[in-house]
Amino acid sequence: MIVSAPWYSWSSIWLVPFAAAAVMAVAWLLGVRRERFYGLMSVLSILAAAMVSTFALYNVLALHETIDAVSSWNWVSLNIGSGTSLAIGVGSYLDGLGAIMAVIVSWLSFLIAVYSLEYMKGDWGVQRYFFFITFFVGSMLLLVVAENLVLMFIGWEGTGLASYALIGHWYTDEEDKWVGVPGRKALGLPMYFEPSNSGVRALMFTRLGDVGFLVGMSVLFLVAHTFSIPGLAASAGSWMAYLANNDLLAAVLFIFTLGALAKSAQFPFHEWLVTAMTGPTPVSALIHAATMVKAGVYFVLRFAPIFFVGAVAAGVVAEAQSQVYFGIVAALAALTAFMMATMAVVSNEFKLILAYSTASQLGYMILAAAAGGLLVTQGSAALAAMDQGVFAGLAQLLSHAVFKAALFLIAGWALHVAESRFIDDMGNYAKYMKATAVAMWLSGLSLAAIPPLSGFFSKELVLESVAQSGYTVLYLVAVVTAFFTAAYTTRLAVRVFHLPPVHAHAEGHEGVHGPREAPSLMLGPYFLLALGALLLGIFWPIAGSKLSQGVYQTLSVLVRPEFMPAIDIATIAITSLLVVDILLVVAAYLRRVDFMSAVRSSRLLSGIHSFLFDRWYLNSIIYYAFVYSFIGLSLVLHVVDHGIDVFYHRLLPAFARGSSTGLRATFGGRTDYSLALYLSLTGVLVLLILMVWGVI
Amino acid sequence: MIASVPIFWISIALPIVLGIAAWLSGDRWRRGYSYASALSLLIPLGIVAYLYASGAESLVDSIGFNLTSYRIGYMYLGVDGLSAPIVIALSIVTAFVSIYGLKYMGHRIEEMRSAGESPPDYGAYQFLYNVFAATMLGVAFATNLVEFYIFLEGTLISSFLLIMYYGYGERWKISMLYFVWTHIGAVTFLAGALYYGVVEGAFDYLVLSGTNLVPVGPATALGSMAVVVALLMFVGLAVKMALFGVHMWLPYAHAEAPTPISALLSPSLIGLAGYAMARFLVQYFPMIMESWRPFLMGLAFLTIVYAGLNALRQTDFKRLLAYSSVSQMGYMLLGIATLTQYGLVGSMLLYASHAVGKALLFMTAGVFIVEMHNLRDIGRMGGLARRYPLVAALALFGFMNLSGLPPALGFWSELFIVLGVVQTYAMNGLGYMIGMTALLMLALSVTAAYSFVTMRRIFYGQPRSDQGSAKEVIDPFKLSMLAIAILGFVLFIMVNPMISGVAAWLRLILGSGLGGVV
Repeated sequence: MIVSAPWYSWSSIWLVPFAAAAVMAVAWLLGVRRERFYGLMSVLSILAAAMVSTFALYNVLALHETIDAVSSWNWVSLNIGSGTSLAIGVGSYLDGLGAIMAVIVSWLSFLIAVYSLEYMKGDWGVQRYFFFITFFVGSMLLLVVAENLVLMFIGWEGTGLASYALIGHWYTDEEDKWVGVPGRKALGLPMYFEPSNSGVRALMFTRLGDVGFLVGMSVLFLVAHTFSIPGLAASAGSWMAYLANNDLLAAVLFIFTLGALAKSAQFPFHEWLVTAMTGPTPVSALIHAATMVKAGVYFVLRFAPIFFVGAVAAGVVAEAQSQVYFGIVAALAALTAFMMATMAVVSNEFKLILAYSTASQLGYMILAAAAGGLLVTQGSAALAAMDQGVFAGLAQLLSHAVFKAALFLIAGWALHVAESRFIDDMGNYAKYMKATAVAMWLSGLSLAAIPPLSGFFSKELVLESVAQSGYTVLYLVAVVTAFFTAAYTTRLAVRVFHLPPVHAHAEGHEGVHGPREAPSLMLGPYFLLALGALLLGIFWPIAGSKLSQGVYQTLSVLVRPEFMPAIDIATIAITSLLVVDILLVVAAYLRRVDFMSAVRSSRLLSGIHSFLFDRWYLNSIIYYAFVYSFIGLSLVLHVVDHGIDVFYHRLLPAFARGSSTGLRATFGGRTDYSLALYLSLTGVLVLLILMVWGVI
Repeated sequence: MIASVPIFWISIALPIVLGIAAWLSGDRWRRGYSYASALSLLIPLGIVAYLYASGAESLVDSIGFNLTSYRIGYMYLGVDGLSAPIVIALSIVTAFVSIYGLKYMGHRIEEMRSAGESPPDYGAYQFLYNVFAATMLGVAFATNLVEFYIFLEGTLISSFLLIMYYGYGERWKISMLYFVWTHIGAVTFLAGALYYGVVEGAFDYLVLSGTNLVPVGPATALGSMAVVVALLMFVGLAVKMALFGVHMWLPYAHAEAPTPISALLSPSLIGLAGYAMARFLVQYFPMIMESWRPFLMGLAFLTIVYAGLNALRQTDFKRLLAYSSVSQMGYMLLGIATLTQYGLVGSMLLYASHAVGKALLFMTAGVFIVEMHNLRDIGRMGGLARRYPLVAALALFGFMNLSGLPPALGFWSELFIVLGVVQTYAMNGLGYMIGMTALLMLALSVTAAYSFVTMRRIFYGQPRSDQGSAKEVIDPFKLSMLAIAILGFVLFIMVNPMISGVAAWLRLILGSGLGGVV
């Protein structure tokens, strides 16, 4: 049942954060600098958004309503003539997926904003910080609930802008705010990044994909004559058939999805997310758990079923081309999931490990949905697989959002007490902060997919979805990734919480400046989140069932997904091996196996270590292939430009001066010469005129 | 619709009269003249607002001249859907730059005097400034090629004098270079325009039909000479627009002009040539333009990328902005060259977004010139956001306008230009689709790259030279920038009248467009 809820049209979820951001900007201009004001504005406006979205979710889940509230006026309307027009309204479309996303985004953002109140206390840019956090949340909510692609893209770009500002928040680039080991190089290029550099990187990498989004959305508009997302879903059969018959479908869908791949840091756009760690830690939590990177996953979850249903309606050609599209996306996602997990194993920065992990987990989510789509050539018989894939992706998104937010918020405190971002400078935290250690293990084990935590269920659902697609390679990659995930998570937890610091100077000073439990405004949010990961798992039969109902009530989802993963022999085998994996890592670390000296003594091992530590050298390769080639081209063009300059402003005047001097020397005062020249040129002119008149 | 009072003539004459009065007053009452000029320059904004509110398609002055007996046609002043975005942008930017000039030019004249030179006084500057601003508005208001050219000359001569009197560096030489180049463009255009007018029997491009200004439509009498006329006009306007190959004068002129003039020259004046392309070439020669489309779009992409990459290498802030203007003109040509409704709408919006954005950026450059001892070298900047948070925010908004990020108006121009480009060729086949996407990715990411890399070089990191004790003080100097930015944001929200106005005009010319497969 679709309703256009009147209560919603005046309380659009994104409106409150945007309004609050506008108020903050005005207040700043008027000279208000009180930290408390900005913090409270931010927290309260996000809370308001969270309550509206909860109400919307209630409408969706309890009353089975889909809210479709579009303004009666158009923001932009363009009459092109001959019956076509372009109209962009302002409106929200809240079906199951939209409402669930809105709830996840707003409540997590709320907890993170509360944490920030304490974390950012006394920071010199705190007003700017809360302005952009609020703007960020507003943009994310706009993109999640947007009824049409243009609004979605505006929100999309808004998250890009906010992440640029927040990643580069400490733009004065002091060394303790960098990411990477200062001085380290790979293939001759630096592997450490200042905040202002990371901000530009985030913007540029995602911008590249966004152009794809823009082009794709233009094509969709031109063939379907609408930007409306439900409208596009309704007519998917016909416009997909048109594109497929012109052999364009796979290319257009992929170009359209580039934006999502870039936002969600999938290969080859993954590099920005890694260096985004220069932002304040709550920003990392926000980007990784609630906003920004989840936008890309949301995009895939939103459009995969639409494309699937459209392709089935459009016929065999469209199905074949859509399968190519789903195949490419699935392959990229699987590659990213595996690649990033391998990097996390060797990293030595707390937040960096989590960042790798995020990109890897995002790969999981996208893989689940794309794998569901791979069966598109089987036609409507495979609808259940598609919808199961979407559900698995969303389940993974939800459980990841909860435990990753917790992990980042823990990281914020860990970095603060260690005054370092390197895990070797941290240690024995379990002794000083019991509650934090519990939270760490709960959220870490959820990431490692150990039952009964929520991560277990969602990872199982993803694996099932991938297995169902019949591509064994994808399945194997996903399983191997799970082992890496468990290993790096355990390593992190043991290293930081149960072993003394490698650099001995880091421990010892207790009291105000040493390791201690976090203040309640910071401990509260992450402890709640970690608890959430546990409760979500224990009550999965309830939570999963609600989630599956939500997915069932989503655009183009036609089959209600199964919310319980089948517990079969494979599940039991993988889970027991994961436990063994974890225990091995724990044992190795507690027995102080010195991995690093093994690495140093073997050429092969140290080669592998460098390969992984320097992110498969991809950063350097991308820089050489794109950044440096453009810098080189720009140098060449600079020289060309100089050449043009010399031609116009040196050579031409010199030539004119030269010929004038020459002519003057020739004619120098000889009237007969001048007269002869005059007469002959007049003759030529007369001839020309006669020719034009057609006389001759 | 016909205005009941000669408001257009007033809006052009009033600034000039104020300018003459300022000139006679010399250095006295400069604040009064500056603010009064700003107010008078806001009249056109009111005119367009009235036009939009009334729902009419055009508004024309009550006074017009019938020169048909001289085979010239009619001379009106008016505004229609196509010129409305131009007038809005001109009005906003010229008004607030007038206020901005108060501190900047006061400083500049002082500086020149203490260096032993004797530049004309502030009153003379205000006079030339007002003539410059008013004649630019005249160019947008004109309905006849002769009228258009007279106003165009007005802008060229006044800006030439402003560069010569108050410019930087080798200003005599550079002003001469500017004068010669722009006249090569203007005279080439004039040659085409004269031929057109003589053969067609009139120089009108907009005529009154009832009470509405309507386009005269394609040229009919030129026959095979149409290509030559179109070429002359195109080359002339290309020089004015500083497209690739004939762009070389612009970095000199715009970098060395006094900064308030740069803020008008770079976005507004050169953009008028783009407006003229839409006005004349698309109207008179749609079929010729269509046959040139691949070449024009190629030239546009070349200009965008070439100038964008050159901008990346500049160390002088103003010169960087000058190259960026060349690059933006590439986008403007790109939209026009698509010959689609979307592309042309995008181009006219780009005029406005570029005017707002680039004016903000030149004004940013001016702040550092005035308050930090002529600091123009980006290599010596760095970390300036700590000292100048408001200016940094405004500059960011300027760059957002250039690279098309919401909530800047540039977002809409980007969206529509991309729609137009996709409509023309992308759907012709797989190769076209991938090729066009790649070209757009290249163009848009080059723009984003120089924007945000420059932002970083200027405002972030640690200072790369001793920056003394300079600190942001909020004064009318910066508030004038803030006003432009706020109005730029308002345009982002209230974009619809501009879009539908341009589209209404285009429907009369192109029907539903000449573009593309779908």
